[in-house]
Amino acid sequence: MNGRHARRVAITGLGVVTPAGNDVESMWARLLSGRSCGAPIASFDASGFSTRIAAEVRGVDALPISGDRKLLKFGNRSHRFALAAAEQAMRDAGIAPTPTDRDRWGCVVGTGMMTVSYDELASVQANAAPDGELDAAKVLDESTSNDPMAFCRSQSTAGVALLMKRFDIAGYASSVHTACASGGQAIGTALRVIRRGAADRVLAGGFDSMVSPVGLSGFCLLSAVSADNETPERASRPFDATRNGFLLGEGAGFVVLEAWEMAVARGARIYAELAGDGNSLSSYRITDSHPSGDGPIQAMRRALRDAGAQPSEVDYLNAHGTSTPMNDRSEAAAAAVVFGDGVGRVAVSSTKSVMGHLIAAAGAVEAVVCTLAIHRSMLPPNANLRDIDPDCAHLDIVRDGPRERRVRVALSNSLGFGGSNSCLAFRHPDDARALMRAAR
Amino acid sequence: MRVLITGSGAICAAGASPAAVVDAALAGRSGIAEVASFDPAGWPRRLAAEVADYNAAKLVGDRKLLKLIRRSDVFGIYACSEALAQAGYDAHRASLDEAAQVALAEGTGCYVGSGGGAFNVNYDYFPLMAEAHGDLGVFGRELASMVNPMWLLRTLPNNVLCHVGIRHGLKGPNGCITHHTTSGLLAVIEGAEAIRDGEADRVVSAGHDAPVEPQTMLYYQRCGLLAESALRPFDVRRDGSVLGEGAGALMLESEASASARGAVALGEYLGGGVASEGGGLLALREDGDGPARAIEAALADAGVRASDVGIVVAHGNGTPLSDRSEAAALRQVFGAAMPPVTAFKWSTGHPLAASGILDVTLGLEAARRRVVPGIATLGTLDPACAGVSVSATARATTSDVVLVVCRGFGGTNAVVVLRAFPA
Repeated sequence: MNGRHARRVAITGLGVVTPAGNDVESMWARLLSGRSCGAPIASFDASGFSTRIAAEVRGVDALPISGDRKLLKFGNRSHRFALAAAEQAMRDAGIAPTPTDRDRWGCVVGTGMMTVSYDELASVQANAAPDGELDAAKVLDESTSNDPMAFCRSQSTAGVALLMKRFDIAGYASSVHTACASGGQAIGTALRVIRRGAADRVLAGGFDSMVSPVGLSGFCLLSAVSADNETPERASRPFDATRNGFLLGEGAGFVVLEAWEMAVARGARIYAELAGDGNSLSSYRITDSHPSGDGPIQAMRRALRDAGAQPSEVDYLNAHGTSTPMNDRSEAAAAAVVFGDGVGRVAVSSTKSVMGHLIAAAGAVEAVVCTLAIHRSMLPPNANLRDIDPDCAHLDIVRDGPRERRVRVALSNSLGFGGSNSCLAFRHPDDARALMRAAR
Repeated sequence: MRVLITGSGAICAAGASPAAVVDAALAGRSGIAEVASFDPAGWPRRLAAEVADYNAAKLVGDRKLLKLIRRSDVFGIYACSEALAQAGYDAHRASLDEAAQVALAEGTGCYVGSGGGAFNVNYDYFPLMAEAHGDLGVFGRELASMVNPMWLLRTLPNNVLCHVGIRHGLKGPNGCITHHTTSGLLAVIEGAEAIRDGEADRVVSAGHDAPVEPQTMLYYQRCGLLAESALRPFDVRRDGSVLGEGAGALMLESEASASARGAVALGEYLGGGVASEGGGLLALREDGDGPARAIEAALADAGVRASDVGIVVAHGNGTPLSDRSEAAALRQVFGAAMPPVTAFKWSTGHPLAASGILDVTLGLEAARRRVVPGIATLGTLDPACAGVSVSATARATTSDVVLVVCRGFGGTNAVVVLRAFPA
């Protein structure tokens, strides 16, 4: 450990918008129930697609978003999720930037890759590419093509800019995208930013929505999503021998991170310590890690090292667990290597079994799940597991209902297309306090 | 912990290496011209800075890879390969036994700033949409027969990270930053911090973008950001920026790693700073508050005084408000003792996510020659930019300390400070 680790980071605020619920309490209840959110796609006509199911956020128009409503014009569906989830997290933390400390607040987000809504794209196509080929001259007269608001919504920084304006944040800012690892990497980056003193508090999270014609298309073309259209509630079944792809979800998750001593000084409720960030590149294939677990292994080991924790302290692993054949096998192999003989003592679940795969938001929402698992000494189940894959049988999967357990250290894996692997480590606040006392 | 720079690569309209681009700037040559990649007839703004004689297979040296990547990725992979080659990375790896190769890979990270794909990634769906005539049922049914199955993978914003990793066997800490213009410079800062943290012994940092295409150009024009006849940083007649394309890359390395492999250092990363204004996507403050705080933070992180700086590479994108407020920031930090200031976008165009790191490679190259290239399009300094020490002709640096400013949408400002080791 180097000197920078002297600064610990507290999680003091949580917020979510997910298919399993649009606030922390309703999401948690749904996760514990083990009832999957998979259903026929309702937000557009998916009848012609090979996969016609997803886990969608319900009640999007009713999401409580305060502040300047005009901001919403600058945002798309996923930005709306972000504003609503961040609002919850900031209120939950009970603190906001002031004119004198706004430069000490940062904002780091994992953003999705979908930049243009289908309707906007359809307008450009119909008027500027009627034959399928874009005609540059016709673009000049196309209405969406000339709409600066459409441009603003399409920018990679659209979400972070909205959040900073809404909450008056004026310090470090970054948007990151490593596909399915984005949310985890965003929170890991925020941890490092606070440790090195570049900010005292960071609003960190992720948001995404690929439940759209173009977004779904990308995954259908790769056969990455389950096509169990007749049994959508069973489609996501991580670690099951019959799993055949992931269930596409959408949403946002945010946490408020604070330098521990500052959270203590203001008497904040500390849910957990964000204790470690582990980050590796698989450099194997674009969509898979090596079956041996190479790649995820390094991310998990680095997270534990960064947290100053032993593998034997880990009581809960929130797996990436996408329910694709390759991911779950590689991840199970990685757990076997990292935990060794103790692998059977680590409770594992993939909450994607209930809420689907939130892509760039997944790691952020699952960070909230790990925080809640620590705070409530309760582990959400891995739904839909009937016949465990023999390659995963060494895992102690939380099945057939939630499990009460005090969690010392929880890990959250997020493994992305492109080979980026993120693992975050969370520690029970009482254990963090004991470590600090021991150090004094 | 010291962070050395042991390799550097660049490509843009003005050249395919940092040396070539600095040569071009010193000769007063600009890569800006009328758009060639589409017909801009009838367009009120027709300029761009495109890479001439674009040959993707030659740039990445792997024809098969081209099926999985886009133009922006080609630039990024090229610049990374150049930086790694200059650092002698692959040759060093080849000299090691298998166990040492594994250790090397795990200690080598990669941080990439990516434009995240221009609007044109969506054009691949236009033939299908033309066929479907708005009927999503048809869209879904005909999808597999009309769209490349690799579409999503070709479109991943983190493609350069992925393929540079696979090519060179990098397994260390990594990130892909999609934060508009500041992406590349944030990749430098986060890469250097990974080394300072001890998470990596060496890191390839890069930034790449290729935004020159009809829809993106029209949007920038509609927002009033594009110039009509030239990009003139800080000039009284400036009227906007010009979209460019390309990439920059650096090999950053701990002092211990560089000396263990006998790598030659081109310079040293001294520090970085990031500050935002929080006013929204396009808003900028008149008083330069954001860039001023980012510069102060970078100087503090670097442990150098403002008076130690010997060359400033300004963002200087040629839009009226950005240059004016950047000038205000420079005056606030440097006052009357302003070091020589230059900017390269009049020659390179504005390659968005690549711009900050491209400017780092150029500032490093110029400072190694102890020269501050002039801004050839500068006629009369805008009185609102008074006090900014710019010149149309080349001058000498006043020290080896380089400060690079980068500003982007969302009101984010990133600044990096380096020390050049003269050749």
